[in-house]
Amino acid sequence: MNPVVLKLAQRQLWAQLRTVEWRALVLATWLAITLTTFLALLSDRLEQGLLRESASVLGADLVLRSSRPLDDQRTVDAQQAGLNTTTVIQFPTMVGAEDNLVLSSARIVSAPYPLRGEIVTEPAQQTDVPSPGQAWVEPRILEQLQVNVGDRIQFGYVDLEVSARLLTSPDRGSGFRSLSPHVLVNQQDLEASGVLAPGSRAEFRLLMSGEPDQIAAFEKQLQPSLQQHERILSLTSDQPVTGNALGNGMSYLRLSALTALLLSALTIMLALRRFSNGQQTRSALLMSLGLQPREVIRLYLWQLVIAAAIISAVGTACGILFERIADYWIADLLPQALPQAHWWSYLSGAGLGFAMLILLGLPPTLEQARVPVAQLLRGEELNGQTGSGRSLYAISLALLGATILLFLQAPLAAFLLLLALALCGVLFGWVAQQLLHWLARPLAAHMTLGRLLKIRLSQQRRWHRLQSAVVVLLLTLLSVVWVSRQDLIEEWQAQFPEDVPNYFVINIQDWQKPGLDEFLEQRQIETELYPMIRGRLTELNDAPIRPQLNEEQLQDNSLRRELNLTWRDTMPGHNQLLSGQWWDENSTEPEISIERDMLEDLGLKLGDKLGFDVGGQPVSGTITSIREVQWESFRPNFYVIFSRAALENYPATWITSFKLADDERVAATDLLREFPSLTLIDIDQLLEQLAGWLERLADSSAMVLGLTLACGLILIAVTLLQALEQRRFEAALLQTLGSTSRQTQRLDLLEFALLGAVCGALAAASAELILAALHQNLLRVDVRLHPELWLSLPPLAVLLFVGIGFALRSPLRIEQCYHILRSKN
Amino acid sequence: MKAQNTVLETQNLAKSFRSAGREFELFKSLNLSVKAGETVAIVGKSGAGKSTLLSLLAGLDVPTSGSISLDGQRLDTLDDATRAKLRSEQIAFIFQSFHLLPELDAQANVALPLEIRNEPNAMHKAAEWLTKVGLGERLDHTPAQLSGGEQQRVAIARAFAGEPKVLFADEPTGNLDEETGNQIVEQLFAFNEQQGTTLILITHDPELAARCQRRILLANGTLEER
Repeated sequence: MNPVVLKLAQRQLWAQLRTVEWRALVLATWLAITLTTFLALLSDRLEQGLLRESASVLGADLVLRSSRPLDDQRTVDAQQAGLNTTTVIQFPTMVGAEDNLVLSSARIVSAPYPLRGEIVTEPAQQTDVPSPGQAWVEPRILEQLQVNVGDRIQFGYVDLEVSARLLTSPDRGSGFRSLSPHVLVNQQDLEASGVLAPGSRAEFRLLMSGEPDQIAAFEKQLQPSLQQHERILSLTSDQPVTGNALGNGMSYLRLSALTALLLSALTIMLALRRFSNGQQTRSALLMSLGLQPREVIRLYLWQLVIAAAIISAVGTACGILFERIADYWIADLLPQALPQAHWWSYLSGAGLGFAMLILLGLPPTLEQARVPVAQLLRGEELNGQTGSGRSLYAISLALLGATILLFLQAPLAAFLLLLALALCGVLFGWVAQQLLHWLARPLAAHMTLGRLLKIRLSQQRRWHRLQSAVVVLLLTLLSVVWVSRQDLIEEWQAQFPEDVPNYFVINIQDWQKPGLDEFLEQRQIETELYPMIRGRLTELNDAPIRPQLNEEQLQDNSLRRELNLTWRDTMPGHNQLLSGQWWDENSTEPEISIERDMLEDLGLKLGDKLGFDVGGQPVSGTITSIREVQWESFRPNFYVIFSRAALENYPATWITSFKLADDERVAATDLLREFPSLTLIDIDQLLEQLAGWLERLADSSAMVLGLTLACGLILIAVTLLQALEQRRFEAALLQTLGSTSRQTQRLDLLEFALLGAVCGALAAASAELILAALHQNLLRVDVRLHPELWLSLPPLAVLLFVGIGFALRSPLRIEQCYHILRSKN
Repeated sequence: MKAQNTVLETQNLAKSFRSAGREFELFKSLNLSVKAGETVAIVGKSGAGKSTLLSLLAGLDVPTSGSISLDGQRLDTLDDATRAKLRSEQIAFIFQSFHLLPELDAQANVALPLEIRNEPNAMHKAAEWLTKVGLGERLDHTPAQLSGGEQQRVAIARAFAGEPKVLFADEPTGNLDEETGNQIVEQLFAFNEQQGTTLILITHDPELAARCQRRILLANGTLEER
């Protein structure tokens, strides 16, 4: 290669770094690389640590998961197939020490455990699992209970000695239970503790390990006999752990990065376009001096490669830094320290950066080689793209799009989001332009350069559409995250009246009921116990229900799992009767009161007869009333309530909830002391854990959005830059013809201010719409307006446009005007 | 009496630039006096400072020292806003590259300087002048739809519509072929005579210069009447 080319590429790059387009390009690429690196590292570590179903995370090669006690035959079958097995039971429970109680996830285990991966404790232990009478406890529980290794904790009826701190362990289970702090207890202590009674809510797991072909064979053998309450988790079954809150959070974050990447790509493309238009004379000159066209291509490619290399290094470093900060941020919420990221995650940002610059840089670079040298003589610029140039752009963009979708790991979701963003963008752009046009009319009639303002708006309309689409989208996203972060959780909590229960007690056995009633009565705790019986909906009007439903109805949750059924004489006070009639207390008929959503979703009506399978026995009743249920009331709620006559004789566990004021909380400790086998759930603690995650998620997404906003600002700057020369020429001519620089400045100011005001108002409107939808559908709280958005967004957007516009627009001194006009001769 | 007749006058006009830390002196004592209605050609080599002189005379630039008076009023001591007002009321330009705003049609281009000075009936007046230059049928055509000669005629209409005292023309035929150039020159001088405008013309073209009453050579920082 001609060494001159490389040297020239370096010099060119340094010189051009002073131009606004290259600065924008560098910033956009840097932001994209930083963001990509950050997200790649964070998600890699979280996945390795908590989400990915690797053998060391599952604790086995194959796991059978069930919501009911496992059939012993399963274990026998597995062992006959030559597999090692062990069983695990996991459930939520409160553990206590003195007056402190902590909601934890208990894992009841027996050796060998785990079958894959290892448990790390402090101090290190010789045994696989805690010895009977001992427990291994995660540090978060110890901190909250204010106990140390060697102290004792209350676990149901037994007191266990904390023999080690549990630092990391596989087999954490899925969903929210994987995020709660864990306590590991030997299976031999379970019965004595009494915390798990028949019908209790728990997850039962059979862990299996063995040779790959044995595992595969047994999985195949297991598959057809799976019950509705059973599921297989294995390394080969590529169904990820669904419903995992953290996993969902991560994909949400990755998706929110899509906007930023999109904006960066657009910025880079526009900056390169402007750059390459300005380089044509230079390319023609270089070729007239003897450089071959392919050397010109090399020259510009080298320039891009050098730039990409430098920005990648800086961007990756920043991404790593951000990831460390985030790690520090969420450390107290994570049950265990995260493993190191894979080496390739460190390179993903740089990879994407290179892909962006080279793919987007290729079309304009190739165009440089096609510049005719004769252009130097004619002195005119080649403008407009050739057909082949356009198709090259299309290919490059498609490749880049594919790369980004690939990086986001959820191609379909990302594609849909892309589509939604594009549609919203087009809509926002169009509405903004209409509004601008409409607003400019009366304004133009009252000002000296009014006609010019209107002309300016129509001349800039393409850029205005793009600019307003970007700004409205960004401001909307930011406002939604900001407002929801600020008040959704608060509002949600604030809407509960004072007496909303903060404790749930579940798994109450028949024989415990009288004692519990007495305990609650003594302390004047108002509450009501509900029997709970599990049953599966099987029949409608004496015929199997499934053939009577359509595809959508068959997907309904009420058919996919067992329902919690109850029986009552009177309607729960926190329910509302919508139609039909509540049964007479002495009714001997089997009657059903059904929740409205379930009725509608399954297409049922009053008078329909529903049949359930309760522990193998058929139970049926006729729908005689329809209720509205407030799910957020934190009281026991049921889709289906039977009349006493229908269900009274079936074995049930009981459930209740009550409110304890802060100074009465000791009653909860007393309760567990007196009835250690009850499962008490502290809703405040649960909400706090949940709120902690929500807040961190909102914080992280605010961080991603902050970077996105920066990308958006750079894009706005680049789009304003595209028309800057035209604006300068226009201002020079106007000033020469007699307007003052103040007048031309006012014209620009008015244009930017109008644009900002329109974008701000649109953003406020769309944010209100989204927030209203969130409030109504997700949180079911009253929709309210947010005047602060209407007050802050328009001025903010005006400031943004005027700020960027005037930063780029150096005021034109009158002495320059004539030179600008003459330079156009 | 002489003072009343003189529309543009410079005394000891000097202009220098700083460039790369050095002071460049373009001219240091130019004295020029132009009477109302005169036509003056300023000729000279490239780089002699013709355009700078024109910028100074038109109040688009300020001298390093010396004075410029337009109609008895000192230009060099006025603030930007007053000079802008003066320009819009008393001065007009015709450029080599026409310099029409591409997004405005012919009529709006001509009306533009009238609108800048808030003149009522700007559009009506613009239409009248376009008719005078022979483009009465093309009012709503944009510059892109007009030939070079037609664009320069729009520029002439724009210049005269404001009834300026002084008209500056900077190589008005530089971008036109000879025949079109000649037609433009005819029109320019005809309207100039009709309106009694003072015309100051910068050109390389000796033939065009010869049509002016006075020809002044700018060379080596001095003015020399030919």
